[in-house]
Amino acid sequence: MNKRLTLTLALTATLTTSALAQQPVQIEFWTWYLSPKFDDYIGGVVKEFEAQNPGIKVKAVDKQATMEQELVSAINLGSAPDVVNLWSDATWKGAENNLLLPISDLMGRDELNKLYFENPLSNFEANGKIYGLPWYGSLDAGVMSYNTELFKKAGVTKLPTTTAEMMAAAKLIKQKTGAYGWAPAVKDPQGASFLGNFVAEGLPILQGGKAVFNSPKHAALLQQYVDLYKADVIPQDLLRKEAFQLATELYAQGKLATIIGGPQALNRIKDNNKDMYAKTGVAPAPLGAAKLQTGSGMDLVIPRASKHPKEALAFAKFMTNKANQVAFAKIVPIIPTAKGAETDPFFANAKKSKDPIERATGMVGASGASIKYAIPNVGKTDDLFKNFNDNIEAAFLGKKTAQQALNDSVTFWNANMKK
Amino acid sequence: MSTPTLNSAGKKRGRALGVTLSSYLFLLPALVLLFVFTVYPVLYGSYLGFTKYTALQFGTGQPPQWIGLENFRTLAGDDLFRIGLANSLKYLLVVPVLQIASLAVAVLVNRSLPGITFFRAAYYIPVITSVSLAAVMWDWIYNKDGTLNWFLKSLHILGQNANISWLLNPDTAFWAIMFVTFWRGFGYYMVLYLAGLQSIPAELEEAATLDGASRAQTFWRVTVPLMKPTILLCSLLSTLSALRVLDEIIVFTNGTGGPLNSTYTALLYVYKKSFGGLDFNYGLASAAGLVVAVLALGLSIINFRYFRDASVRA
Repeated sequence: MNKRLTLTLALTATLTTSALAQQPVQIEFWTWYLSPKFDDYIGGVVKEFEAQNPGIKVKAVDKQATMEQELVSAINLGSAPDVVNLWSDATWKGAENNLLLPISDLMGRDELNKLYFENPLSNFEANGKIYGLPWYGSLDAGVMSYNTELFKKAGVTKLPTTTAEMMAAAKLIKQKTGAYGWAPAVKDPQGASFLGNFVAEGLPILQGGKAVFNSPKHAALLQQYVDLYKADVIPQDLLRKEAFQLATELYAQGKLATIIGGPQALNRIKDNNKDMYAKTGVAPAPLGAAKLQTGSGMDLVIPRASKHPKEALAFAKFMTNKANQVAFAKIVPIIPTAKGAETDPFFANAKKSKDPIERATGMVGASGASIKYAIPNVGKTDDLFKNFNDNIEAAFLGKKTAQQALNDSVTFWNANMKK
Repeated sequence: MSTPTLNSAGKKRGRALGVTLSSYLFLLPALVLLFVFTVYPVLYGSYLGFTKYTALQFGTGQPPQWIGLENFRTLAGDDLFRIGLANSLKYLLVVPVLQIASLAVAVLVNRSLPGITFFRAAYYIPVITSVSLAAVMWDWIYNKDGTLNWFLKSLHILGQNANISWLLNPDTAFWAIMFVTFWRGFGYYMVLYLAGLQSIPAELEEAATLDGASRAQTFWRVTVPLMKPTILLCSLLSTLSALRVLDEIIVFTNGTGGPLNSTYTALLYVYKKSFGGLDFNYGLASAAGLVVAVLALGLSIINFRYFRDASVRA
């Protein structure tokens, strides 16, 4: 009887342990603004990963406006997600606050350099370590989608290829049609997008660890934009709304002739205004004197509080691999940042298409190697960007001269930037 | 003979104790919730105001570090907080306007006229309209090509070439947003005043009329004194709401605080410092919150002093 009992207990213990050992690990993956439109794509990749990794289950959750706050709350409550979709500024802040695991410690620089382009990797670097696996990217300029009717009405026959030509075209379009010709980045509630205009013209932001964006050339450039604003050549709402968002809104209403940026805006135009989409042309975006294509992108990070960092890394690598990024680019005009994606024949074929979205995707889709964030990691970005934006705004509203606004901002940056 | 009396007194005391205990037992769930969700956060938040506590400390598991009044010194030297506090106090100007207007309209709709229910409901619609939806509508109205400019031009108040972007102009943005607060709060207070007016016994007003009081005299000497508890409630609620205004500021300015920070409020400062990104500075945000709370307390006391007594004036 005793022997039988011992045997039964031993058997039960073995079965329980083995069942526990075989229980799959569940990881939580947070995306940002991808649901419901891309549920099928995300779900498909998750399913494929789970099939290849039977011991891991992935729960995908989409977060939106309050993502950062929810992330910190979840970490605080001990229920941190394992893989999170962030972007450069958020990744830097997360890294500085010790909330994220350095990916370069988990998988080594060599492997990272083998899998991803150098520029996108550097967009997620803080304190000499990489904190995010590059995912899909976009270019600040990218392509120019334009309303062919408004261009014709304004008599613009040569498409602008430089910022100077774009300014001239914008004046002409406003004068002849009443519609705006251009909605450049001025003030961005989440960042300091006007700094990108300096970079595009080859003007430095930092030199030797100091802010230097107050030279006479910087001030002259800012003044050019202020003049356009005062003459109502560019929309006044650029002081309140992010340029790309405003451009998409006004373009769909026929009040703006161009959208400069990633081709993703065209999806919204196609969904909301088919007539407008039919008269949309696509061309390479005008570039500044530096002929630079700056951009930004998303990454996948692993919170330090993740309970399954090994599994999280495996999933993040899978999600961002070349095949899955190219597959994503085929359903939405994003730019893959995994090495080798640029040679996929899809992009070369798309370039020849007559459909604006496909053409635009083909034009920018293979440029993942050049996605370099215009704004350097300066730390304390909330305070620095707020100060920069306040000064820029003061210049636009005529409360300060362009030079004074930049001087004031540079003084603040040099006093408050991380050393 | 004395034993039964003592026993009965003891029983009475025992019963009274039982009633007291059972009363507290019934109150216990509410008290627990009050403690967990109000008392504890208030005490802990106040404590954090005197500490250095950031996301970095939180991320590395370090506890808050006591720094005394340092956060308050930082606030005193921070232009943005001073601007925010000044704007929050300026926002209180909406309170008397809101109270007088909603009381006046409550008096008007407190009559049995045909279709009056429709008006009562119509005034309440903005209250149940979400702030984001209201923002879209008012954005169109305040746009330089919007309805407000058209309206003012058609009345020849604005010149035909004047195109004011009401939310972009530092001189108008604050008042434009404040008007939305007025528009959203008006129906709510009107309903409270209406309930207050309908609870006044009709005999009192009738008696005043029989005594020869005019309508104005009846209103000022009978109705208003009896409405004091409602006026206290409404002015207290609207004072606290005005001081803590945040929703409208965030949706109308994308959280930037408006042109040249003309609509930057103290609560926006608290929000930005605590949740405005991953730069969480809990200590400084709690200190700023504490300053706002002390102001709110002071203003509440003033409200109580003015509107506490409800009595009919002779």
